[in-house]
Amino acid sequence: MITIYQQKEKQKAGMMIISIIVILALSTIWFSGCVQQQGQSGEAIVLIGRDSTSGTREFFWTYVMGKANFSASLLEKNSNGAVQQTVAQTPGAIGYVGLGYVDSTVKALKINNISANVQNVLAGTYPISRDLYMFTKGNATGPAKEFILYLQSTEGQAIVTQEGFVPLQNTAHYNTSGKTLSGTLTISGSTTVLPIADKAATSFKILYPGLTITVTGGGSGAGISAVSQGTADIGMSSRDLQTSEQGKGLVKYIIGKDGIAIIVNPQNTYAEGLTLAQLKSIYLGDITNWKDLSK
Amino acid sequence: MVKIFHLSWKGSLLKEKGMKTLFFLSAISAIIVIFSIIFFLFRDAYPIFQKEGVVDFLIGMRWYPTGQPPLYGAFPLIVDTLLVTLGAMLIAIPLSIGSAIFIAELATPRMKAIIKPAIELLAGIPSVVFGFFGLIVLVTWLQITFDVPTGESWLAGSILLGIMAIPTITSVAEDAISSVPREYKEGSLAVGATRWQTISKIVVPSAISGITAAIILGIGRAIGETMAVMMVCGNPTYGLIPNPITNVFAPIKTLTATLGIEMGEVATGSDHYSALFGLALILLIITLIVNILATLILGRLKEKQRSGSKRLPIISFELAKKIKQSLYLFIGIVIIIILLMAVGIIPVICILIIIALMYYSLKKISIKIKQKIAFSIISLSIIIVIIFLGIILAYIVTNGVGALSWEFLTTGPSNLGRSGGIFPSIIGTLYLVAGAIAISLPLGVGAAIFLHEYTKEGIVTKIIRAGADLLNGTPSIVFGLFGFAFFVLYLKFGFSLLAGQITLAFMILPTIIRTTEEALKSVPQSLREGSYALGATKWQTIRKVVLPPAAPGILTGAILGIGRAAGETAPILFTAVVFSNFIPSSLLQPVNALPYHLFTLATSIPGSKENQAGTALVLLLLVIGIYLIAILLRNRFRKNMKW
Repeated sequence: MITIYQQKEKQKAGMMIISIIVILALSTIWFSGCVQQQGQSGEAIVLIGRDSTSGTREFFWTYVMGKANFSASLLEKNSNGAVQQTVAQTPGAIGYVGLGYVDSTVKALKINNISANVQNVLAGTYPISRDLYMFTKGNATGPAKEFILYLQSTEGQAIVTQEGFVPLQNTAHYNTSGKTLSGTLTISGSTTVLPIADKAATSFKILYPGLTITVTGGGSGAGISAVSQGTADIGMSSRDLQTSEQGKGLVKYIIGKDGIAIIVNPQNTYAEGLTLAQLKSIYLGDITNWKDLSK
Repeated sequence: MVKIFHLSWKGSLLKEKGMKTLFFLSAISAIIVIFSIIFFLFRDAYPIFQKEGVVDFLIGMRWYPTGQPPLYGAFPLIVDTLLVTLGAMLIAIPLSIGSAIFIAELATPRMKAIIKPAIELLAGIPSVVFGFFGLIVLVTWLQITFDVPTGESWLAGSILLGIMAIPTITSVAEDAISSVPREYKEGSLAVGATRWQTISKIVVPSAISGITAAIILGIGRAIGETMAVMMVCGNPTYGLIPNPITNVFAPIKTLTATLGIEMGEVATGSDHYSALFGLALILLIITLIVNILATLILGRLKEKQRSGSKRLPIISFELAKKIKQSLYLFIGIVIIIILLMAVGIIPVICILIIIALMYYSLKKISIKIKQKIAFSIISLSIIIVIIFLGIILAYIVTNGVGALSWEFLTTGPSNLGRSGGIFPSIIGTLYLVAGAIAISLPLGVGAAIFLHEYTKEGIVTKIIRAGADLLNGTPSIVFGLFGFAFFVLYLKFGFSLLAGQITLAFMILPTIIRTTEEALKSVPQSLREGSYALGATKWQTIRKVVLPPAAPGILTGAILGIGRAAGETAPILFTAVVFSNFIPSSLLQPVNALPYHLFTLATSIPGSKENQAGTALVLLLLVIGIYLIAILLRNRFRKNMKW
C-alpha cells in the first residue's frame, strides 16, 4: 500500500517537473518572440523630460517653453542619462539632454535647421545653450580655488571638450609651480556637470597627490544647498541661483557651456529637424503624433 | 565577612537595576525613533500645510512645484499610489495563496524542502534589482507586446510590485496554513471529505487570520516601495490619474517615486522641500492606517476563533450570506466593466460565455474532477511564480556573469562606472551594514529582553510593541527623508557614512526586536524557574541561562537585518551615498554602496550595460548569500532544539 502511494507521489512529482519544463520552454519562446518583434507604436509622441528640480529642465522651460506649462503627459526622469536611455528604448520618444549625452543610440534633431554640435554652440548659431556653473561659499580659497582655476584653464577645458560640452574661449595654461595642496575637497551637484568634474578630479589628483577629492551627483539643487550649508566645498549647477538660494553668500564661476540637444529614437523617420515653435507645441501637448508634424 | 557579602549583594542589586534601566532605555528607543520621525516630518512639512491648507494639499489635482504659480496638489499622487498597489495585489494575492496552499498541502516533503527556502530566499532580492530588470526588460517587453507608445506604466509597476510581494505573502501565508492543527484536517478527511474540500472548507478558513496578515504585509510593502516603481512607472510630470481610470498602460507617479526623484535636487528650506515632507507624511499616514486596520482585523479574527460558536454572531447567517452574494456580484460587475474598457465588447462576451459554461459544467462534474481542476490551478500558480522569478534571475545571471572577474571585484570604477570595477561600492556596503548592525543589535536585543523578561503584558509593552510595529511598517524612503532632515541637516553630519548607518539601523531595528523576542519565547519557562530556584538573580539568569540557547535565533534575526540593510537604496539615497570612486576614511565622509551604484548605472549612465548586470549580480549574490546563511542557521537551530 505504502509503495503504491509512494510510486503515485513519484509519478505526480515527475509529471509536475515535466509540465514545469514544458511551460518554461513555451514561455521562453513566447517571451523571446515578443522581444524580437518590431512594434508599430512609434507614431504617438512620448514626451520625456527631466524632473521639476533639474537645472536642465528649468532652462528648457524658461527658454523653449517661455515658462508655459508642460503637457501633463511629460514623463520625468531624474538624470540626463535616464532621458537618453528611455529615448533609446522607446520608438516614439522625444527628450532633451546635454550635448555630452548624445551618442549613437539616439538621434539629435536639428533646431531651426542648425545641427546640435559644439561648433554651432560656440558660433552662437545653435539656439538652445546655457552656461555651466560652480558655486563656492564666499570667494573660493585653497583647494577649491585651485580646482576651479584648473577647470577654467586650457587643461580643464580640454576635459570639457572631451565630455562633449562647449569650452570657454581664450584660456591660459594651468600653472602648478610651487603650490602644494592637502586636505579634502568635496564637490557635489548637477548630474550634467558631474562627468566633467569627475574626470577633472582624476587628473587634478595627479597634480596634487596629497589631496582627497570627492565628487558626487545629486542634482543642482542638492549641490547648491550642500555648499551653502558647508557640507561641500564646491557646488556644481547647470542653472543659476533661484530666489530662495540667493543672499547666502554664494559666488558663481562659469566653467563651460552646454548645448541642449533634442533627441529622438533612431527608428524615428518622421523628423530630422524641428523649429523652436514646433518643439514648443510638442512639449505643450498640442502636437501628439509624429504624423501631424508634417501637416 | 558579613560586610563583604553585604557589599557584593548591594553591588549586584545595583547591577540588576542598572541592567533593567539599560534594557528599558533600549526598549523605548523604538518609540523615540517613531516619534522623532513623525516630529521631523511634521516640522518640515508644516510650512506647506500652513501656506496651502491641508485640504487643498490633499485634494489639489496638480503637482507642479516649480510652476508659476507653484501647484502643490497631492491627490493624483495618492490615487496613483493606491492604484499601483491595487494592481500589484490583484497579481500577487491569487498567485501567493495558490503557492502557499501548494507548498503546505500538495507538495511532497522533498519538494517542500526545496521550494520553501527558495521562496524565502527570493523575499530577499533587493528592490533595485527588480527595478533594474523592469527598466531594461519588462518596460520594453510591454511596449512591444501591447504595441503602446511606452511601456513605462501602471501595469509595469504593478507587475513588478506584485512579483516582489509574492515571496513575502507566500511564506507568511504558508506558515499560517501549516500551523492549522492536524486534527482539523484528519477530522474532515475522516468524515469523507476529499482533500480539496478539506483544504477549501477547513484548512484555508482556519488559517484566514494568518493569510490576512500576509496580505496586509504585502500591501504595506507595495505602498512603501520606492526604487522599483520609480524606475518603471514613467512619472508624468504633474501626477496623472489614468484616464479612463482603468487604463493600465497610463504612466503614473506615486508618492514614493515623487520623493525619490525630486528630493535630490530640491532647494533645502523652500516650499517645494516642505511639500515633499508633506508627501512623506501622507505616505506614513497611509501605512499607519494599513497597519492599524491589520491589527484590528487580526484582533477580530482571533476573538472570533477563540469564542467559537458560543457567542451569537452580530449578523445572522442568512444576512451574511446575502451580503457575501451581493459583494461577489459587485466585484463581478466591476471586473466586467474593467474588462469592457480594457479589451472591448467581443472578448468580454466570449469570456462570459466560457465562464458560464465552466460554471454549469462544474456543477455537473464529480467532486474528484473538481479536485483535479483545483489542484492543477494551484500547481499552475506556483509554476507561474517560479517562471516569473526564474526569468528575472536567469536574466541577471546570464547578463551579469560576463562582467564578473577578479578585477571587477577589486578595482574602482572608471569612466563613470562604464568600465572598471565596483570595489568601493562593496566596501561601502560592508561599512554601512556593519555600522547599522552595531547600532541596532544592542538596541534591538535590549528592547526584546525588556519586553519579554522584565515586564508582564500590559500597557507599557503594548505601547512599545505598537511603536516597533509602526516602525516596521514605515516605508524605507520615509526613513531616508527623516535621516536627511535630522542627521544630515539638523545634526550637520552632512552626507556621511554615519548618517546612513544610523538611518539603516533604525530601519532594521523592528526586525531584530521581533526575531529576538521569538528566540526568547522558545526558551522554556522551566529553565528560568530552575535558575531562580538556585538563587540566581534576574540578570544572572538572563545572561547564563536564557541568552545562550536563544543566541542562534538572535543571530538569525541579525543576519536578516544585515541582508535587508545591504539591499536597501531609499534610506541611504539622501543620507550617505555618492556615486564615486571613493572609500571613506572617517565616519563623516560619504560612501558608495552597491544598490546605489546599480541604481545610478541603470538610470544615469548610458552604455554601462555590462557593468549594470555585473553589479546587479554581485548585489544579488551578496544579499541572497546572507539570507541563505540565516535560513540554514535557523533550520539547524530548529533541529537541534529539543527540550
